[in-house]
Amino acid sequence: MKNSDTSEYMMDDLQFRRSIYADPSSVDEDILAAQKADPSKKKLAKDLCQFDEKLKQAMNVTVPDDLCNKLMLRQTFKSHQHNKRKKRIHMALAASVAIVVGVLVNYLQFSNSHIYNNLGDYALAHVYHEEGAFSNNDETRVSLTALNQKMTTFKGHFNSSLGELISADYCRFDGMKSLHLVFQGLTDTVAIFIVPKEKHLTFTDKFSDVNLHGESLSFKEANVLIVSNKEESLSQWQRAIRNNITWLI
Amino acid sequence: MATKQVRYEALVKALHGDLYRYAYWLTYDKHIAEDLVQETFLRAWRALDSLKDEKAAKSWLITILRRENARRFERKRFDMSDYEEESIMDTESTSTEQTIENDWLRNKIAQLPAEYSEPLVLQVLGGYSGEDIASILNLNKNTVMTRLFRARNQLKDALEKEPNNIRLAHEK
Repeated sequence: MKNSDTSEYMMDDLQFRRSIYADPSSVDEDILAAQKADPSKKKLAKDLCQFDEKLKQAMNVTVPDDLCNKLMLRQTFKSHQHNKRKKRIHMALAASVAIVVGVLVNYLQFSNSHIYNNLGDYALAHVYHEEGAFSNNDETRVSLTALNQKMTTFKGHFNSSLGELISADYCRFDGMKSLHLVFQGLTDTVAIFIVPKEKHLTFTDKFSDVNLHGESLSFKEANVLIVSNKEESLSQWQRAIRNNITWLI
Repeated sequence: MATKQVRYEALVKALHGDLYRYAYWLTYDKHIAEDLVQETFLRAWRALDSLKDEKAAKSWLITILRRENARRFERKRFDMSDYEEESIMDTESTSTEQTIENDWLRNKIAQLPAEYSEPLVLQVLGGYSGEDIASILNLNKNTVMTRLFRARNQLKDALEKEPNNIRLAHEK
C-alpha cells in the first residue's frame, strides 16, 4: 500500500480520517501528501490539532504546590531515619564488640590463667618469666618505708629489713594482686611473693625443679612464698620473715 | 548515598508534575492521584539503582505508577462509574470561557473508557509517539492507533452532539 508517489490517490477519506484522528500532528509522508492534495483534509488536520491544544489545556490540571516538597521531605526523612537506624545498629555492634573484648581481656587476665594448680608451680613459672629482669648486682634499693607502704594492701608490716631489697612491686600472681619482692641473695636474687589467700591454688609448702626451689608460708591473712636458687637457705629466709612480719588484723 | 539523593531529587523536580497529571487522569481524583505519585516515588527510590538511562526515567516512572494503580484496583474493585463529577474540578485559573470549556472537556475525557483515555493522555500530555505508548501499555501499535482514533472520535462526537456548554462559552 505504501508508495509515496501515488499516496495521494491511494489514501482514501476513511483511511485519512482514521490516521489523523489517531495522531493529528503526524509527520507521516502519506498523511502530509494527502493534506497537500486535499484542502478539506488539511482543514480537518488543522481542526484536530487545535482540538488537541484544547485537550491539552483541559488535561493540564494544576499540580498541588506542596507535592514536590512532600516527595522530597518524605524521602529525606526516610533516608535520615534509615541512616539513624543504621547508626544505631553500628553503635550497638560496636558496644557489643567492646563488651566481648572487655570480658575476654578480663577473662584472660584474671581467670583464664588458672592453668596452675598450686602456688608452687605458679611461683616457679613467675620467677622464670621474669628471669633477666633483675640481677643480683642491681644497685637499686627499696626502702623499708616504701615496702611497708605497699604492704598495707595486705595489712602486713615488716618490722625491719629482711635484706637488700632490689625491687618491690605489685604484680598479678595468677590473677591476684600480689606483692613481688626481689632481694639480693647469695649468688642470685631471691623472690618473695605476698599473695592473698585464694581457693583456686592449692597450698604447697615446698616445691622445686632442677634450678629453683621454694617454700610457702601460710599466714592467716596471706601466703608468703620464697623462691630462690638452690644455693640459698630457704629456712633462713623463712625464719627471717616469720620474725619480721606483723599483720594488722 | 548522596548521589542517590541527588538523582532522586532531580527526578522529583523534573517529573512529579507530569506524573501527578497522569495519575489524575487514571484516577480522576486529586487525593488518590497524590497518593499514587507518593507511592510511585517511594518505589522509584527503592529501585533507583535499576534506572540506568535517565532519558527513560519518565516512562519508567509511568510504568511504576500504572502498576501501583493496578494494585489499588486489586485491593478494592473500583467501578469507573464511581467517579463523581465534583471531583473533576477545575483547577486552572483561566478565563471563565476557558474554564467552562475545560470543565466540559474534562468531563468528557473522564467519561471515555480507560483504555481510550489512557493512550490519549499519554499522547497529548506526555507527548509520546504511537510506538512509545504501545511499549508503555504493552500493546501493539495498531491497537494503540485504533484506540487513539476512537478516543478523539468519541470526544468530537460528543462535542457535536452537546455543544450547548461550549456554544454558551463561545457566545459569551
